[in-house]
Amino acid sequence: MTAENNPAEPRLRILILDDEPIVCKRLRPTFQKMGYEVETFTDSASALARLRETTFNIVITDLMMEGADGMQVLKGAKESSPDTQVIVITGFATLDTAKESYRKGAFDFVAKPFKLGDILDCVKRIEEKQRGASPPGPGPQP
Amino acid sequence: MWWQRLIGINRPRSRETAEINIWRLQSLFNNFRRILFLNNAILEDMDHMERALRIEYIFDRAFLETSVRTIASRVHHVTYNLNALTGNGYIPLYDRYQDVRTILDDILSGNTGALAHSPVLPLHAVGWELEPLVGIDLVCLAELRHHRESRVTEGFVITAEGAQALTGQKTTPVTPEHQAAHVSMTEVRAEIGEQFKTLLKTRSVLRFSVVVTRIEGEEELVQELGRFVLAPVADGPGMEILIESWPEGQSSISMPEAQKNVEPLPASDDSAADLYARCLEHLIRTIFAWFAKSGREPIGPFAVFVRGSLPAAVSGTVQTRFAAKGFPETLSVTAGLPDADAGDDTFLLRRTYPFDIIQSTITPRPAGYHFPEGSLATGAASTHGSFGRGSALVEIKVLKRLAETAMMLERMLGAPVTVRWECLADGECCITGLTPMPVRLEETGGDGPLREQEAEVLCRGGHLVQSGIAAGTVVHVTGEMLPADFPAGAVAVARVASPQLTPVLQRAAAIITEKGTTTGHLATVARELRLPALFGLPDALALLPPGTEVTVDASETAVYRGILETLLRQGAREMDLSPSDPEYRTLRRLLRFIRPLNLIDPEAPNFSPQGCRTFHDIIHFCHEKAVDELAHFQERRPGLGAIRTRRMDLGVPMDIRILDIGGGMAAEGGRELSPDATRSEPFSVFLEGLLKPQAWTTELPTLGLRDIFSSVPRSMGMLSDPIGNLGENLAIVSHDYMNISLRLGYHFSVIDANLGTDDARNYVYFRFAGGLADPERRNRRARFISYVLKAMDFSVSVKGDLVIGKLKMVESAALRSALSVLGALTAFSRQRDTSLYNDADMQILFTIFADTFLGAFNRNIPAAKNPQAPDPLAASGFTGAGGYRRSLPSR
Repeated sequence: MTAENNPAEPRLRILILDDEPIVCKRLRPTFQKMGYEVETFTDSASALARLRETTFNIVITDLMMEGADGMQVLKGAKESSPDTQVIVITGFATLDTAKESYRKGAFDFVAKPFKLGDILDCVKRIEEKQRGASPPGPGPQP
Repeated sequence: MWWQRLIGINRPRSRETAEINIWRLQSLFNNFRRILFLNNAILEDMDHMERALRIEYIFDRAFLETSVRTIASRVHHVTYNLNALTGNGYIPLYDRYQDVRTILDDILSGNTGALAHSPVLPLHAVGWELEPLVGIDLVCLAELRHHRESRVTEGFVITAEGAQALTGQKTTPVTPEHQAAHVSMTEVRAEIGEQFKTLLKTRSVLRFSVVVTRIEGEEELVQELGRFVLAPVADGPGMEILIESWPEGQSSISMPEAQKNVEPLPASDDSAADLYARCLEHLIRTIFAWFAKSGREPIGPFAVFVRGSLPAAVSGTVQTRFAAKGFPETLSVTAGLPDADAGDDTFLLRRTYPFDIIQSTITPRPAGYHFPEGSLATGAASTHGSFGRGSALVEIKVLKRLAETAMMLERMLGAPVTVRWECLADGECCITGLTPMPVRLEETGGDGPLREQEAEVLCRGGHLVQSGIAAGTVVHVTGEMLPADFPAGAVAVARVASPQLTPVLQRAAAIITEKGTTTGHLATVARELRLPALFGLPDALALLPPGTEVTVDASETAVYRGILETLLRQGAREMDLSPSDPEYRTLRRLLRFIRPLNLIDPEAPNFSPQGCRTFHDIIHFCHEKAVDELAHFQERRPGLGAIRTRRMDLGVPMDIRILDIGGGMAAEGGRELSPDATRSEPFSVFLEGLLKPQAWTTELPTLGLRDIFSSVPRSMGMLSDPIGNLGENLAIVSHDYMNISLRLGYHFSVIDANLGTDDARNYVYFRFAGGLADPERRNRRARFISYVLKAMDFSVSVKGDLVIGKLKMVESAALRSALSVLGALTAFSRQRDTSLYNDADMQILFTIFADTFLGAFNRNIPAAKNPQAPDPLAASGFTGAGGYRRSLPSR
């Protein structure tokens, strides 16, 4: 169940960073439709600055970019908020980069081109994980 | 001794020859298998690229570059393999490969040099690939001409490069190789003159409508800069340019002195065309100069569309998405009279079939007004032969047809559109133009995800062919249904995604099939039309009864009961994403030079390397020629005749020799094989049909003297074949492949088939020719065979007694059934030509064969019965000498 399906729960915040505008353009409305709060960036400097300003539940970042690359964004996101889950997407997927992503704390690693369903599943898994970890809400306890 | 030397020389050479032959043969087949493998990989690559178009994938520029590189490399290898297979028989194919590759590289780098075929071209010659030069609006208008339901205006287009040349801007060739594509002003002038000549002769008009459009604006895909009319001055000599829309607000553009006071010449005179051409050039230069003035936005690339303009009785627009009070998602149609101040009729219709009218606002006509069909407007509400003054200008059926066309354009464009239309005095309506509507996501309303749990899912599954959401009434499409009988806007549900359904796609809102692949012809057409499509949805026919209203969400591979407005609105939102993305448009342009298959008929004159316009053409050409090479390899490669083969004892009056090129036969076995030793999947299935007792009925016709004489030239021809080929039945087999060359009696047939685990690679090729009877009866047998093949969904061509059939892109079960039938047909059809004295005989023979062997394909044979007779010929009254007893019902 997405955040929008249950208005009582806060909407998850997602930051999307990819220097290819088409990726942001396609992902943004899809996540919005699912009820998430979405901000998109096409340059890593602005995204890192935003990550220092505020906390996001999920960061979806490209790996190969001018300036700070995806690994640096991953590091920055974790420094700002250790609970933030990071999904790394790349068109140049190798086993080494995938390993490095996981070692640095990425939740998942997705190779481009990817299906919308793949990334949605990934986000849903994070959501389930975070909901499971959060303290139970008001109501009868077992 | 001389004889010892002779033996000493001859013995090793004999072994060497045999070894070389088998080596050469393996090489031949390796090249062929490589072509099959690469073709399949390329089709998958194409499918991968097309899936990205369906908004199923998130991709970036790197994906486009990698995809083109991979496909191009594979196509190059296919070209190489064909030349290796045929002894460099198709060297010019390398040039065609390079031409297409250059265009693809140009598209990727944003250049248009290689695309610019002609700076001025008729509307019907415009295709998707020319979008950067003419604008997406004209591409859609041109594409609409391919749809038989829609009538589109005639006209011609000056491309951005043509307009650039005409206004004295320098057109820069992309590379030195493209120097030939450089456009000169003289060339553009001459071509405009030619186009006017054609329009003046074919349309007999003196007024021309001109639309100038800027291509690739920042915010919009295209932007209309102005609309004008070129016409003789109404009450005096000379020509004038009238302004229909123009930002400056003036009503006409002054003509240069040279064109003033010129008496318009008869339309048939060539100098009339020159006069119009000069007027048009003046108009284009005036527009360019206006934008070039300081302080104004640069005009940028722009295209010009010119069409003959007959006086319209009624004209108007259709907006595919229109928000009115209480109706957030409707389609609006306006209809007005020329030069009428009273205002237009306005209609709001539903966006889905049957496009019901929600609201209409009719403007009263002046008393005495003649409606387009001749009726007189009177004060009475309803009298014989008259309409009331408040009657609508257009009939409901016209409104619905306009709505249907506009919705098809919306799908093609991937965005809501405004369509311009006009009806002439004779009632003929046509589409004259369109513009994409800038609609923002927030304007669509209906926030919030669809709560799927509230909607009843009728079925779910299948393969996504084209994403999108559509709603309509379910109609089952059967083999007997004529395309024109399919109700426009309905949801088509069929058993198989057969190419024969193509015309239905032009009328359907969505299509669902129980069987079919995402790489087939129908899938390509569905994607071209952006028609929501799901193939391979099990039991779709049973789960979706005719008449049920449904909403198809192809992206979710789900079909819901009822018309779900929320879901439809979300579908419309998704569409906003695609066409304005540069990557999407680049991908679409790339695919225009990769995916379309133009070379369909191997017998057509353009079936040549020079005729290949896309990568698909090239690989299809290579596949056809490779199969042809194998079909004739015994004749063309006599040196391969001495290959080592083993005889198979079939237990029927037919010998066949087997050459196993890898896993086609059991490893053990002596010089002679039995059918049990077969491990080749396609050959095993073929044998199953071949060895059916009913296929070997002993009732054989007798021959007349005429037959013997008529067959002599052919028989002698066959006798002149290389020794070793005559009468030799040869099967070359591997675990998933077979190539059988058969000579039974006096006919020759080839069956080439692949039957493995991957449906996309599987196919059957069948070729049949010859016979002993006179040409008339041989041709009847050819037609009999063609009917059998068609009943199995083969694509078939018949020329005299030569029949060629192909079946591919079908599920392996269908292919197996077809191969088995071909086995039976091989035995059953031998010498049948001699008994086919008239068409009725042929019809009866087909009925017998269909009843006995085509049970798996019954859906294609409406008249077939199933008598299950042990000897079908005897049961049907076959006499043996003169065909069937005349008491049998004739055709």
